[in-house]
Amino acid sequence: MAIHLNRRTVLILGGASAVTLATPLAAQDDRLRLAFIPQENPEKLLGDIEAITGWLASEIGVRVEGFVTIDHAAAVEALRNRDADISFMGALPFVLAEAEIGAVPLLSEVYRDAPSYTGRIFVRRDSGISSLADLRGRNIAFADPISESGYLYPLAEFVEAGLIESPGEAEAFFGRVFFAGGYQQAMQAMAEGLVDAAGASQYADLLLTPAQQAEVIWIAESEPIPSHLVIARPGLGADLQDRFVDAMLRLNAPENRDKLRYLYGPDGYVRADSTAYDGVREMARRYGLLG
Amino acid sequence: MIRNFVRVVLATFATVLIFTGPVAATPAKEAPWLPEAAAYRLTLFLGNLEPLPWNEVETAWTEPYSGSEFSSGALDWLDHESDVEPDALLNAIMRKDRQEVFAETTRLIALRIEEELDRALAAEEPAAAQQAVRTARELYRSFEDGVAAADPEAARRLGLAWLELNSSTGSAGVLGAGATSADRDTMVAARSVISTYLAGNYLIDDFAPRRTLSALPETAVLRSRTVEVPPSLPPGSDIFDQDPLPLLVLNFEEQGIEETELPLVAYGDMLFDSAQIFGSPAQNLGIACSTCHNRSDVNQRLFIPGASHQPGAIDVDGAFFNPIFNDRRDDPLDIPSLRGLRFTGPYGRDGRFASLRDFTRNVIVNEFGGTEPTPFMLDALVAYMLEFDFLPNSMLTTNGRLTNAGPVAAQRGEAIFNRPFAGLDDRSCASCHVPGANFLDRQAHDIGSVAPAYEGARTGAMDTPTLLGTAYTAPYFHDGSLPTLAAVVDWFDETKSLGLSEAERADLTAYLETVGAADEPYEAFDTENTAFRLAFSELTTFASTLDTLLPRRDAEHILLLTDTVAADLSADASTMSNLTARPDVYALAERLAEVGAAVRDEDWAAAEASWTAFKSEADAIEERAF
Repeated sequence: MAIHLNRRTVLILGGASAVTLATPLAAQDDRLRLAFIPQENPEKLLGDIEAITGWLASEIGVRVEGFVTIDHAAAVEALRNRDADISFMGALPFVLAEAEIGAVPLLSEVYRDAPSYTGRIFVRRDSGISSLADLRGRNIAFADPISESGYLYPLAEFVEAGLIESPGEAEAFFGRVFFAGGYQQAMQAMAEGLVDAAGASQYADLLLTPAQQAEVIWIAESEPIPSHLVIARPGLGADLQDRFVDAMLRLNAPENRDKLRYLYGPDGYVRADSTAYDGVREMARRYGLLG
Repeated sequence: MIRNFVRVVLATFATVLIFTGPVAATPAKEAPWLPEAAAYRLTLFLGNLEPLPWNEVETAWTEPYSGSEFSSGALDWLDHESDVEPDALLNAIMRKDRQEVFAETTRLIALRIEEELDRALAAEEPAAAQQAVRTARELYRSFEDGVAAADPEAARRLGLAWLELNSSTGSAGVLGAGATSADRDTMVAARSVISTYLAGNYLIDDFAPRRTLSALPETAVLRSRTVEVPPSLPPGSDIFDQDPLPLLVLNFEEQGIEETELPLVAYGDMLFDSAQIFGSPAQNLGIACSTCHNRSDVNQRLFIPGASHQPGAIDVDGAFFNPIFNDRRDDPLDIPSLRGLRFTGPYGRDGRFASLRDFTRNVIVNEFGGTEPTPFMLDALVAYMLEFDFLPNSMLTTNGRLTNAGPVAAQRGEAIFNRPFAGLDDRSCASCHVPGANFLDRQAHDIGSVAPAYEGARTGAMDTPTLLGTAYTAPYFHDGSLPTLAAVVDWFDETKSLGLSEAERADLTAYLETVGAADEPYEAFDTENTAFRLAFSELTTFASTLDTLLPRRDAEHILLLTDTVAADLSADASTMSNLTARPDVYALAERLAEVGAAVRDEDWAAAEASWTAFKSEADAIEERAF
């Protein structure tokens, strides 16, 4: 699969000097190529990439380039093709990339002092819904079918509670299952009364207005989900890998923390512990995503 | 008590914010607007101002909106992203045809939505389809508050259609795992719901004449039913607090007196933060005195398109806040600091009000369209504002002389500051900015900084501003036209022919920067002294005035307090770092709302009981959460 950039991203990249298109070039030891995945405005991400790659280059002593892929799949493909050396990645795509191409976990993001978070089932406070069983026949919005905290883990709570036999049987329990496209969209659909519940990250209610936040409660919480991480392609030189990791860990220092905002805004990074992702591997198997 | 009003909500909200009921003064940061959607919303907003600022309407389409994350303006963006032609819109703007501008801009957004929906259906891969749906949905946000206000049932139907559409685009999975194909039939059906509505309401040839430009659907306008879209600020507006947050210096606090012991002052403090004392739209938007003068200082970031010519400035007698008070003059003013307010009268940039009380009433009733404040409210506001003190500055003596702590250049500058100049009619800078009188003379002078409003006008006299604290209040002059203190020195040197050498200018600038400095200009936060903790302390202090008001059975002022503080307390919970304690704060806010509800029912025993419970629960939260 080639890297798919939509029209907008291609245009923006065409006008940006500090970031590059993912044209196939042989991997070199004197530079690092970082793949980023857009979350909101790809144009803003390009500015962020320029800032962080410049800093990393000065810290590591090699040229650092960044480019934007359309999604996780494209980033994994770039790692496989050696068009990227490093990529930012969700936990689920990582375990799939690990199985598929031998991707190596380097760093885990830290939020609120933990390299993990949870998924929750949110409902409106005035809905009268107080348990997962109350959602039988009701409508729910999840974020995305391959989102850990926005689908897989919250849905697993219904399986754990004995309400759903397996993840594939969700439609039989709920009235309707929607994928809203993101945490915010799922939460907004719930808050506005379009659906009865939303499955999203534990922090997703912070995406609602302050008034809406007061009107929302959560009724179930998943087991901890290891946070997003930074991964490397197999075969990346150990020295370069170490220098990159050391530089990234220096972002935790007070004088560098302001630069974290260029990287999806975590509170910091820790070295990735591969075993921490065993639960995700198991979850991926349960959903038939991993052999 | 140290006080704080950091009220920046870190998350971004994609919805157009609609405010109903008591509104908290906690602004919510919106998600970025797509360039053409931003231009549309700005066009509607500016199109309702009188006189209509046509230049700004044009700029709304040619330039990125203030604070935009997109580097291009709407027209460039459309040129890259769309086949929709903006020519008809540009012609309408050129002809200054308000109704036609409304029609063309509305159709343009509707066509863009259709264009993205076409792309979604034509996309061969789920990721491309999802992106097109996401873009279309973001563009639909332009109309969303209008649909919700006019037709809740349609809003729900459309909301579900967007959900259906997004759900049916399929998923590429990751490396093929979890991939699902698109459900074309559902996509077509959902798109049809959206397109049918657009065709009947936003994609029509002849719109009914609009007295007020809004995103209301055409069918609602034709029904002639009075439907009002809740006020909203246009993209690019910024009513967030300063960052870093200025230190607030209150006279009583510096003397070790608790605000809870000063109920009139505490009530005035509450009113200073209450949008309830203003009329619409300020009230609906959560705009309070503190929005512009937070921490008694200048909010240098405040910006409202059409009402501000630059950040930190606002035209409070324009068309937006109170149309009856619209002076039809485009004359935004740089927001002044309120530090040391009891020493800085007369009030207003031109010193037009001798009385702070008269000035305050004018702000509430005329500038912001509020109802007539009670004498108690005015007494309370004035009592609170008279407590604002200047920032301590150890480089100055109490009579305004430099101490030895001042830089050498500033010492040289002090001599220049006190030197008479022929260009100043043999007076010195210090003649007006009297060092022993807080660097002001309580008089208005025409120094030539104001262009005459008409031939022969004698309207250029401005109240002498203090120089204290000015290192943190840039830009300068009544219109904020000079960006730095060095620029102020240059301006006087050039317009008054002072004949200063370059070194003398630098010395005089150093002196001004030293006089305008402070030992601690900003609030210091850490993991213990958090923004929410300070806001919580402040709000519970406001509430403490119930100890005075409940025994007096003062229903009017109790309700003003409970409506304000309960909403603020609940909203501020969203800024808590200790998320697990949020439900407790929501419960506490509800407890205060119960006080108000009981007072409305004239059940004073219940009100007292809820107030007692509030105090006990607030203490418990204080212990547990912090």
